[in-house]
Amino acid sequence: MNYLHEVILSVGIDIGTSTTQLIFSRLTIENQASSYMVPRINIVDKEVIYRSEIYFTPLRSATEIDAEAVKRIVREEYRAAGITPEELKTGAVIITGETARKENANEVLSALSDLAGDFVVATAGPDLESVLSGRGAGTDVLSKQRRITVANLDIGGGTTNIALYEKGNLRGTCCLDVGGRLIKVDNGRISYVYPKIQALAKAHGIEVQVGDRAYPEQLYGVCRLMAAQLAQALHLTAADGQHAGMYTNDGRALPPQPAVQAVTYSGGVADCIYQKMENDVFRFGDVGVLLGKAIRADPDLSRVELCQAAETIRATVVGAGTHTTEVSGSTIRYERSKLPIKNIPILKVSPEDEASLETLKASIIQQMPLFTPEGKAEQIAIAFTGEKRTSFAEVQALAAAVIKSAKEVIQGPYPLIVVVENDIGKVLGNALNVLLEHKKDVICIDGIKTLSGDYIDIGEPIAGGQVLPVVIKTLIFNS
Amino acid sequence: MNEKDLRTIIEQVLAEMNAGGSAPAAACCAAPAGEASQVEEGCIPDITEIDIRTQYLVEEPENGEEYAELKFNAPCRLGIGKAGARYKTLPQLEFRAAHSAAQDAVFNDVDEEFVKAQGLFIVQTQCDCKDTYLTRPDLGRKLSAEAVATLKEKCKKNPTVQIYVADGLSSASVAANIPDLLPALLQGLQSFKIDVGTPFFVKYGRVGVMDEISELTGADVTCTLIGERPGLITAESMSAYIAYKATVGMPEARRTVVSNIHRAGTIPAEAGAHIAEIIKIMLEKKASGTDLKL
Repeated sequence: MNYLHEVILSVGIDIGTSTTQLIFSRLTIENQASSYMVPRINIVDKEVIYRSEIYFTPLRSATEIDAEAVKRIVREEYRAAGITPEELKTGAVIITGETARKENANEVLSALSDLAGDFVVATAGPDLESVLSGRGAGTDVLSKQRRITVANLDIGGGTTNIALYEKGNLRGTCCLDVGGRLIKVDNGRISYVYPKIQALAKAHGIEVQVGDRAYPEQLYGVCRLMAAQLAQALHLTAADGQHAGMYTNDGRALPPQPAVQAVTYSGGVADCIYQKMENDVFRFGDVGVLLGKAIRADPDLSRVELCQAAETIRATVVGAGTHTTEVSGSTIRYERSKLPIKNIPILKVSPEDEASLETLKASIIQQMPLFTPEGKAEQIAIAFTGEKRTSFAEVQALAAAVIKSAKEVIQGPYPLIVVVENDIGKVLGNALNVLLEHKKDVICIDGIKTLSGDYIDIGEPIAGGQVLPVVIKTLIFNS
Repeated sequence: MNEKDLRTIIEQVLAEMNAGGSAPAAACCAAPAGEASQVEEGCIPDITEIDIRTQYLVEEPENGEEYAELKFNAPCRLGIGKAGARYKTLPQLEFRAAHSAAQDAVFNDVDEEFVKAQGLFIVQTQCDCKDTYLTRPDLGRKLSAEAVATLKEKCKKNPTVQIYVADGLSSASVAANIPDLLPALLQGLQSFKIDVGTPFFVKYGRVGVMDEISELTGADVTCTLIGERPGLITAESMSAYIAYKATVGMPEARRTVVSNIHRAGTIPAEAGAHIAEIIKIMLEKKASGTDLKL
């Protein structure tokens, strides 16, 4: 395999509670195997080459995003960067924080992903957001290099997304309603209070109402309560009576182990933590500066090492632009004309069900109705690990089992898509092709880890057709 | 002598022993424990089953956990401790076991029954025995007169692709990989609708014999699946050497290689599918080796 490397352009667009941002990055893809071995193609370098200005997210009303204004921002930034949508091979548009709860969020996402480029995918969801901001902040790399457990807290306007990494491996995510713009201040008066924060303050004897005069000391007190909630989320101190209610959409907490040893901060509030900000604490029209100060001063959060994040306010957008795309294994089987494909729900066979071909078949048959509303087959991808089924005979039996249990897909109009972790993509793809007598398009990729409930996007081939760019999305919205 | 015959003989001997000495045996069993040798159920652990990537034997390490994690990335004989200036007993035995496996792989012949079970007939190079094979590489690159006649008789003429298997320097590799590698390769070619000649096995074969086979069969592409020289990590590694219109005396650079095919490297079934695609590209570009950009 003589080809050396290929550079592809990727975009990240983040429409958050308070800010909208865009970055372009260059992903370098290289074959790391020597020339007489089966290729092993990986993304070896990621470099941000353009950062947009940071815009306030345009809203038409409290419940609606101003889609036209967002599109205008995107178009102008593409022009300023001198990049056309056609040049982009991959990327992600992500709606985060409170903005994801807006009525037209989905609509805006799909409109933008079409505008942004062919294989720029739309995505959202607090788990993914935590992961993207953690990677954008460089927390995964930090924990890997220093061999410690590090949490990144991405503190934005509406939410705090936490991702916990142990020696480079993700150990948990969570999302809390703690943010800089949950209390807004206008002309010295409180103009907005998020009900949960109001309740949190009240539980500790602090009354904050819209229309009240904004006293820095009083609001600092509220911010200290929010900071304490973050310390509880990291298990640095015992949870109080309010804590369970602080998670977004009744989400879950971080696992208590591994114990966090260091923290990084990203998001808009991060700069208010890393740097001391004096003078007007309400200069941004919110309590971000006070929240940063409260976090810096929190006795429990101070018990773990504070590390510098690689990105602060841009962590999520950098994560979306540079860390969402992975590449498939380099021995795979696909039909070029069927790519790219986007937003395909994954029918995952659990590792336990994979243990025997009978339970594998039963699992696919049982789950199929979930993906065929009103009996009509939709495009799906069938996924399993393929662990231990590596002999030729076992692969043939596996292919036969898939064909037998996925009748709806085989009779339907869409290609048969199979996603496996283990390196058997090509031989399994061949087996499916031969068993189906080439009468059905088959896309069979390996090297990709999936979970039940995930969605997958598969792009057009890169690296001389040897690999496919893939984006795995954890959930489209948290509903 | 086959296994069944052997079993019959052993049964006979045992029966004779029992007939002559049943009384002393009973006395032995009645003896107090500890005085007589004891027979326990179970087996001695097979040291070749140990995955050396997970083996860490240093006593009182500064940071053993980190070393073990680092070591997991590659099958190397590091972090195995020492006894004075020497290896510990277990690593020493493992080393010798690996070395023996390598020697066996080179010196043993591939089981002919196994080869036939794969649907392959057998031809031989001009080497008459293993010693000649190891000492005369030139003879391992030439077919015997009988082999030439057999191939002329049995092989399909001018196929698009000619595939054959050779023992090379590892008979263990043939046994370990061919049952998965060969059918996956044939299926891959079938799925591309590429015509394949009659596959066979070459005993005492070196890579270079493919040139003569290519000329003899008139194939566009010739592909040999051959046992690699064994190492101490695996004795089962296999390579595929593939060439477009190979001719005797052509430069070595015209061969394309896919190496490191074994269960801990590129798994044989997936490698077969990969090689099929390389052959497809080779046929399209009408080139191989350094002339072919994959």
